Amino acid sequence: MKSNQTLAEGALQVKRPLRQQRSKHLLRDLVRDRWMYLMLLPGVLYFIIFKYVPMYGVTMAFQDYKPHLGFFGSPWTGMKHFIRFFSEPQFWMLFRNTIILALYNLIFFFPLPIILSLMLNELRRERFKRFVQTLIYIPHFVSWVVVVGIFYILFTTENGILNELIYRITGEKIAFLLEADWFRTMIVSQAIWKEVGWGTVIFLAALAGVDLQQYEAARIDGAGRWRQLWHITLPAIRSTIVILLILRLGNFLDSGFEQIFLMITPTNREVSEVFDTYVYTKGMTQAQYSYSAAVGLFKSFVGLLLVLGSNWLAKKFGEEGVY
Amino acid sequence: MRQDKTRGNRLFDLINHSILFLVAIVCVLPFVYVLAVSFASPAEAARGGLILLPREWSLVSYQYIFSSDTLPRSLLVSVYITVVGTLINLAFTSLMAYPLSKPHLRGRNPILLGVLITMLFSGGMIPTYFVVNGLNLTNTLWALMIPNAISAFNLIVLKNFFQQIPDGLEDSAKIDGCHDLGVLIRIVLPLSLPAMATFGLFYAVAHWNTFFNAILYINDNHKWPIQVMLREIVILAQSRVGDSSFDEMDVQPLTIRMAVIVFATVPILLVYPFLQKHFAKGVMLGSVKG
Amino acid sequence: MKKKWMNTVVTMLAGMMILTACGGKSGGSPVEGDAPYPLTLVVNQVGEIPDPKNPIEEKLREYTNTDLRIQWIPYSAYDEKINVMIASNELPKLMKLNYSPTTISSLEADLFWDITSHLKNYPNLAAQPQQYYDNISVNGKVYGIPLFRDMGRAIVSYRQDWLDAAGLKAPVTLDDWYEIIRYSTEEDPDKNGKRDTYGMMLDKGYNQGTASTLTRLAVSQGAPNKWGIDEEGNFYPEFESEIFFDVMKMFRKLYAEKLINQDFAVVDSSELNKVYESGRANIRISGGNGQSLQTKLEKVVPDAVVNVSPLQGPDGIRVPGESGNTGFLAIPKSTVISEEELDKVLTFVDKLFDPEMVNLINKGIEGVHYSVEGDFTVTLDADKDAQEVKPYRDSLPQRGELYNMEKKAKGTELFALNKKIVQENENYIIPNPALTLKSETYNERGGELEQIITDAQTKFIMGHIDEAGWHAEVEKWRKSGGEQIAAEYKQSYEKLK
Repeated sequence: MKSNQTLAEGALQVKRPLRQQRSKHLLRDLVRDRWMYLMLLPGVLYFIIFKYVPMYGVTMAFQDYKPHLGFFGSPWTGMKHFIRFFSEPQFWMLFRNTIILALYNLIFFFPLPIILSLMLNELRRERFKRFVQTLIYIPHFVSWVVVVGIFYILFTTENGILNELIYRITGEKIAFLLEADWFRTMIVSQAIWKEVGWGTVIFLAALAGVDLQQYEAARIDGAGRWRQLWHITLPAIRSTIVILLILRLGNFLDSGFEQIFLMITPTNREVSEVFDTYVYTKGMTQAQYSYSAAVGLFKSFVGLLLVLGSNWLAKKFGEEGVY
Repeated sequence: MRQDKTRGNRLFDLINHSILFLVAIVCVLPFVYVLAVSFASPAEAARGGLILLPREWSLVSYQYIFSSDTLPRSLLVSVYITVVGTLINLAFTSLMAYPLSKPHLRGRNPILLGVLITMLFSGGMIPTYFVVNGLNLTNTLWALMIPNAISAFNLIVLKNFFQQIPDGLEDSAKIDGCHDLGVLIRIVLPLSLPAMATFGLFYAVAHWNTFFNAILYINDNHKWPIQVMLREIVILAQSRVGDSSFDEMDVQPLTIRMAVIVFATVPILLVYPFLQKHFAKGVMLGSVKG
Repeated sequence: MKKKWMNTVVTMLAGMMILTACGGKSGGSPVEGDAPYPLTLVVNQVGEIPDPKNPIEEKLREYTNTDLRIQWIPYSAYDEKINVMIASNELPKLMKLNYSPTTISSLEADLFWDITSHLKNYPNLAAQPQQYYDNISVNGKVYGIPLFRDMGRAIVSYRQDWLDAAGLKAPVTLDDWYEIIRYSTEEDPDKNGKRDTYGMMLDKGYNQGTASTLTRLAVSQGAPNKWGIDEEGNFYPEFESEIFFDVMKMFRKLYAEKLINQDFAVVDSSELNKVYESGRANIRISGGNGQSLQTKLEKVVPDAVVNVSPLQGPDGIRVPGESGNTGFLAIPKSTVISEEELDKVLTFVDKLFDPEMVNLINKGIEGVHYSVEGDFTVTLDADKDAQEVKPYRDSLPQRGELYNMEKKAKGTELFALNKKIVQENENYIIPNPALTLKSETYNERGGELEQIITDAQTKFIMGHIDEAGWHAEVEKWRKSGGEQIAAEYKQSYEKLK
């Protein structure tokens, strides 16, 4: 305790506090931060016990896993499942569909919660703001089955509400749910409807931390709304945006199985079949656990590369990044 | 606020308000439908079509929900795991996120990388089950809370939030003789109320949506949360199970399904409005700290 | 501020203690001799989970002299839960399995008792038709007692009032089907002046699994059920038969003329049911009872008349045979360790087929769930029946009226007719010869191969591909493994002969 105090007193003299710096003495740092390490302990234990101990399960991808034989009794197959996966005739189609869908989501979905929360942030009347916030986050609680059901009622060619409207105007119906051309639009709009309000929650929290005096000062300097947005609001949430983007890249190849599975039809399969649905038809219904695990491992590996790469890039641009 | 009176600003406000209002309506409309059907008479619902205000009001569906204690009881279980689980989550997560928000801490980067990896790679259902079972957590509600004590995603983002707090305040507390834990509790957490409210919400919603782990870890159906029931009643009725294993008779009428959705969703929907005042409070505290 | 926090936490912690303290387990050690045999049973949940202390379960325990404990597992995670149970070796004495590739591999690995030779020692079990056991056999061995269900469930239900008005009869030939569907779409059978009805509607599962409308219709016209065997003993898939293709062509025509719903490739069966139940569609092939449609329909169209008739074609009644079960109860070797114990478990199952138990499982308790009226029994309260009796009816083996039931349940004429047709269907069944045959290729790529065909069928009906395109898809199926499956089935078939 005593050494800690003297250190802290010393910190007063220096411009940057001393505890921000890493000293050359490992031991001294460890002693100084002993409380920090104590605080880390429960979390570290948690990750070891519940995440790392079970990690041996990934060996499933290199076995022909059978539940009754377990992880230690199932026969080893080496890279068999990976080789099979990469040599599937459909592999490149699946790869293309998965990537395009992920890019669509990144381009059309990812910015929307940010824009929406900035719009909410501009609201002066607290009541209206809360009213909107509360309503837009409701769809998050609607399950995909129900969302797809709602879209069916709206978009089907058999008395679909929107299609009837279109029919009255143009005299023609559009097979939104059947045509391959409409598939990605439907998927992205469903995702937007369901998750955009939910996505604003985290940005609103980040915005809540912005110092109001900064706006005051900017206003005195004669900065308009747009300049305040550009110079104060956006920089305040920039690091949150970067972090979320990096973490999103980690599950870049996850397409949201449930939603896509419900939206696939024979007529749009050439654009709708993705890794997740393919593994389901192939793996789950046929009890090929190891094969599914191999595809999963491949996806995780791609995710890891993307996360490490984007994190490195973020740091190059002076962002904090994940670590 | 004189500036707000200019014409451009007024136009902006008008457009902004209208767009947000429209978005809010589009978001809430389907839920209004669910609500309306749940209060409609079965005959009206059977006729189909979009109902936004039932013509024949009826409480039959809700009578069904309370006709046995299964659904009310599972709702209580959900409330319990949501409240207790979220408190555990917040304690564990903030305790770990705070040290990790200090770039000078030795060993910080390896730990963060280790956390990040768990987001991408997982040992899977069966090995995790062995761990939970080995700790004698199965068949207790702890099995729904402890194995999810920290979400790696929330941890990393919270760490990032903590990092935004200027060091000045913390350092002055240290000079007052606080150790790091004291700084976290007295300075950092009160300053991070919006973040705590946000992650509390994330965790609460995750707990509320628990169904798979409940089935996996708990054999006693009295300890199943509401989502297990919701799945059985609603999702199965709508997903195509085909008549290979199901008879049409098994499917509950639409009105009951919708009532169950309302019953299982409204409690968690009420959490956010309640938390919103903390967002406002955060703004005030934030202005003090400058 | 801080104090308030602490208070909340302390209260919460105290609450936790109380709640977890309630989960105390009580379990006495089993006593040898006449004491009830402790028997754990794992089945999937059907609707509400009954209280284990309810009178039906108490009676079951008493009659079978067992300490029966039922663990109900919801459908949404049944397979995963079973996998975890097998992997962690936490098995009950009796559990419901589905006849799926995973279970078959566990059965082949000898995890469960082979009861083929034991069945004859139990009078009730021995009295059940062999076909039901054959349908769950693996390599000719029986590993459980089926949860029986009719094998010929497919039935045609239609609006008798619409048919009468048009002077039409229940369909026999494909032309009959076409005419009924055309009339009920084009000539406004509900007389409301709008073209808002369909003769027939399909949902997106119309060509999948045992409930496939294409299969059911094609079989009635003379096609094989899923697989056929030619004179040389070679296996060929149903869709290579002429008749099956005729059925596909009929639907193609119906689709092009807008006589069936144009969105069938995306519509859910639940959406479809709504249309049938609101009186805007006529005929369909289903596995349910026509009476339930009649009951729902009456609420919307009071004078609607639903009727049912068997699936028939030019050669008379022909119904595709289904597996005849909704799963089966298997006995794990790790928990039932000796032949003596196996005897106890099988005795329990055998006793479930005694008249007293058959009544209990099917109908509940007299005076509470049903009453006796002359030669019939009457359900007292349908909701109570669904909540308290149905779970047992659906999860314990029984054959309803077909075995040891003293009095039939009283139902409407339609209900009885439907039942009678389904029971008589058993004499006209066209079995699926490949049902229990082994094929490695099927296990590995079956799902994907089926998808090639079901996709092509939809595209053909919708006119996206022509006849040449369809044949190309079939060829693709053959080349990707279809041929191999046929060969492996043939091999497996000859081995079992």
